[in-house]
Amino acid sequence: MKRNAVVFVALVVVVMALLATGRYLDRTRKHGPIRLVGNVRGVPAPDFDLLTLDGHKVRLSDYRGKAVLLNFWATWCPPCKVEMPWFVDLQNQYREDGLVVLGVAMDDSEASKIAEFAHEMGVNYQVLLGTDKVSDDYGDVQYLPTTFYIDRNGMIVDKMAGLLSRQEIENDVKKVVNSTYKVNPTSSSQAHAQVRHRAEAEIKPPSKAAAQ
Amino acid sequence: MKRAPLFGLSVLVLAALAVAQGDKQPTVIMAPVGNVPVRAGGSTDLELDFRIDSDFHINSNKPKADYLIPTVLKLSPPEQVLLADVKYPPGQEMSFAFSPNEKLSVYSGDFAINTVLKSPAGAAAGTYPVKGALRFQACDHSACYPPRSIPVQFKVTVVRK
Repeated sequence: MKRNAVVFVALVVVVMALLATGRYLDRTRKHGPIRLVGNVRGVPAPDFDLLTLDGHKVRLSDYRGKAVLLNFWATWCPPCKVEMPWFVDLQNQYREDGLVVLGVAMDDSEASKIAEFAHEMGVNYQVLLGTDKVSDDYGDVQYLPTTFYIDRNGMIVDKMAGLLSRQEIENDVKKVVNSTYKVNPTSSSQAHAQVRHRAEAEIKPPSKAAAQ
Repeated sequence: MKRAPLFGLSVLVLAALAVAQGDKQPTVIMAPVGNVPVRAGGSTDLELDFRIDSDFHINSNKPKADYLIPTVLKLSPPEQVLLADVKYPPGQEMSFAFSPNEKLSVYSGDFAINTVLKSPAGAAAGTYPVKGALRFQACDHSACYPPRSIPVQFKVTVVRK
């Protein structure tokens, strides 16, 4: 009976701690777009194989040596629509410096509808048809817009979720454009291994030996 | 009986875990509906009440642009019950920080969808489940979530004269 009471109290404490953490994270989120830099900065961007609006296959690794702005968006997302003219401008402004903007459309609708929307928005960059796999690979992208800034070596420099100002976007663009290409790029399998390793490292407590 | 507090606690733990994820998903819930009586050959009005989480808004049934996903109620009643009409509330015209110059037609907070249910004259007396879904697409102050559906269900009791 006494043991049950202890277990009960312990559970209540755990619940209270979880609620407090959740409230803290939620409050942080309300103050502006999430800046989920802790988990992904410096991690190799998972490679993908996606179709363009006209049916061609495109891989992220095709752009190795380029600075990539990878934007997840959808036609039904008004904040995504706000960013699109900025991406058009940035693509024009930084094209000569090696910037490639890729827009991954997470719509369920047909490619022709997405193409029509992109045309109306004056999009001058490559639009790709998103899949569940690419969403999963990039951390279950549900919150749109979400943008990854990937340097010339395929490493994620930053991840931004939610609408930002044009200036904040341009600041991140400058970071990737200013990156230097190294000839020994990380492979996709290495990328996944590193992501897994990081995730495991985050949940494992330090060993006694490491602590000493 | 002894397990009831543990069940309650488990629910609380799961809820806390969901909140602790920090990536709060938009929620829309429907108020429970009691048994709805309808006379065979007659009709009845039924209001379905919904509540949207305070941090979010969803498009109304008539959003301002074709590219936006409207809120839609779909019901699949059995043959003893007919859905004669569905009336959506008008949207609130609101502008948001992400597009201050554009007004969107949205629902936020509480809203109600009014339906009219009919029962054919020859319908057999009995209680029948009506099932369906409310499909919506939610956004917050700076981003949007993929469209989702929540189940809508209630029971209709057909009574003979």
